[in-house]
Amino acid sequence: MSAGNIRSALDGLTVHDAMTKLICYLNWNASIQQAIRHTIKYKVNSVLILDDKGKAIGVVSKTNILGGYYVGLPVTAPLQAVMVVPPIFCHINDSLDSALDVMRQRNVHRLYVIEDQPGRVVGVLAYPDILGMLYRYCHRCDRSTLRMAGSGSATGKLSDYFRVRELMNPAFQVHREDESLLQVMDSISVHHSRTILITGYDDRPQGVVSITDLILAYMHGVSSGDCAKTIMRTPVLFCDYEEPLLLAVKKMIFFDLDSLYVCKDEPSNIVGIVTLADVARVRSGSCRACKLSRIDLND
Amino acid sequence: MVVTARDIMDTDFRTVHPDTTIAEAVTAFKEASAIRRQKVFGLVVTDEGDKLVGMLSLYDIMLLLRPKNIHIWGEMNDIFVAGFIEEACQRTRSIRVGDVMTTDVITISPGTHLLMIVDIMIKRQIRRLPVVEEGKVIGIVYTSTIFYELMEKLAVCN
Repeated sequence: MSAGNIRSALDGLTVHDAMTKLICYLNWNASIQQAIRHTIKYKVNSVLILDDKGKAIGVVSKTNILGGYYVGLPVTAPLQAVMVVPPIFCHINDSLDSALDVMRQRNVHRLYVIEDQPGRVVGVLAYPDILGMLYRYCHRCDRSTLRMAGSGSATGKLSDYFRVRELMNPAFQVHREDESLLQVMDSISVHHSRTILITGYDDRPQGVVSITDLILAYMHGVSSGDCAKTIMRTPVLFCDYEEPLLLAVKKMIFFDLDSLYVCKDEPSNIVGIVTLADVARVRSGSCRACKLSRIDLND
Repeated sequence: MVVTARDIMDTDFRTVHPDTTIAEAVTAFKEASAIRRQKVFGLVVTDEGDKLVGMLSLYDIMLLLRPKNIHIWGEMNDIFVAGFIEEACQRTRSIRVGDVMTTDVITISPGTHLLMIVDIMIKRQIRRLPVVEEGKVIGIVYTSTIFYELMEKLAVCN
């Protein structure tokens, strides 16, 4: 992270300011099936694993669960089979800067927060939590273009906001609807994607398969050799290339998504993907008042 | 006279299958409430062999309705609200009960003593307990039933 870019925005903020206290955990003897239920029910991407004494010993993410599906583990297998050890911790009083550094260096999207006792987790720090906190700051900021828009200031035009095209990632993975779930999982694993765009025989977008859809298919006993079409979600939700980023964020919140495909000129012309994590990297993405204080994670 | 789960359990209750959708489970909640003549907030989930496999509570459904990024939305007072609830309901409808039910279910036997049931409900903060005999659910004991049972006894004491 380049120090010159971020100090003014995050100086003085600690992990405590942005973390959430809702910790989703399971005992290490629990099954993969139970972990899937937890991720669906609590809408989290990973579950903390505790030993019999309540000490945090590992993490199971949706990606780890997908590994179980890929190699054909029964869904009733214990979590130890897919668990990653140890969890990556930060201290509640660490600066948000240093926590973000750890996330970047270790290539994780979430840290478990400890206070005094080692292994006793008191919270979780994840990108969406940081985004939530940054939104709070943006809305209270005197220079926010949102605030100016509310007061009728001429500077509060939509043109002052970031555009989707400025943050979108042009690299996204595509599979045909007749390709197997194993092939889809291969792409997710190799490219670290969260979603795969599914196209028809005419190469037009037909649907989306996400990691969540895949682990649900795993739990429902769908064969990994079945084609992508059997589990894809329709329609493909997208935003426009030229759209203000703020509107895209609102769309993601509205549809409870972490990402949206980006189309240019017409809906069938998908040119990229934009994620909430991308938005978090550019503060809240709502205005340019804090352009100099953007978070730059360069991953 | 010893009062046990068998004496106070409701034997007329509605169950759902793990493959039932949340939309269908909501109908089952309404039917269960009609049977009990008061609102029911939890359903027993059983498999094809009537074996208990989980419980579905109102809380489980509320968790599904809550947007995952609600903490961001909470800061966005300018977000378009129209249709927000409908959209949350729409994406919840097709989720299967088995994907979100609680599988770590505490059960009692027909012979469990009333005060033992009170103890379990207090310690585990449970409002309903399935009564299981030979692997099958034969009844449910509700907090409200216990409360009114004890009220009767307290009144007699006076």
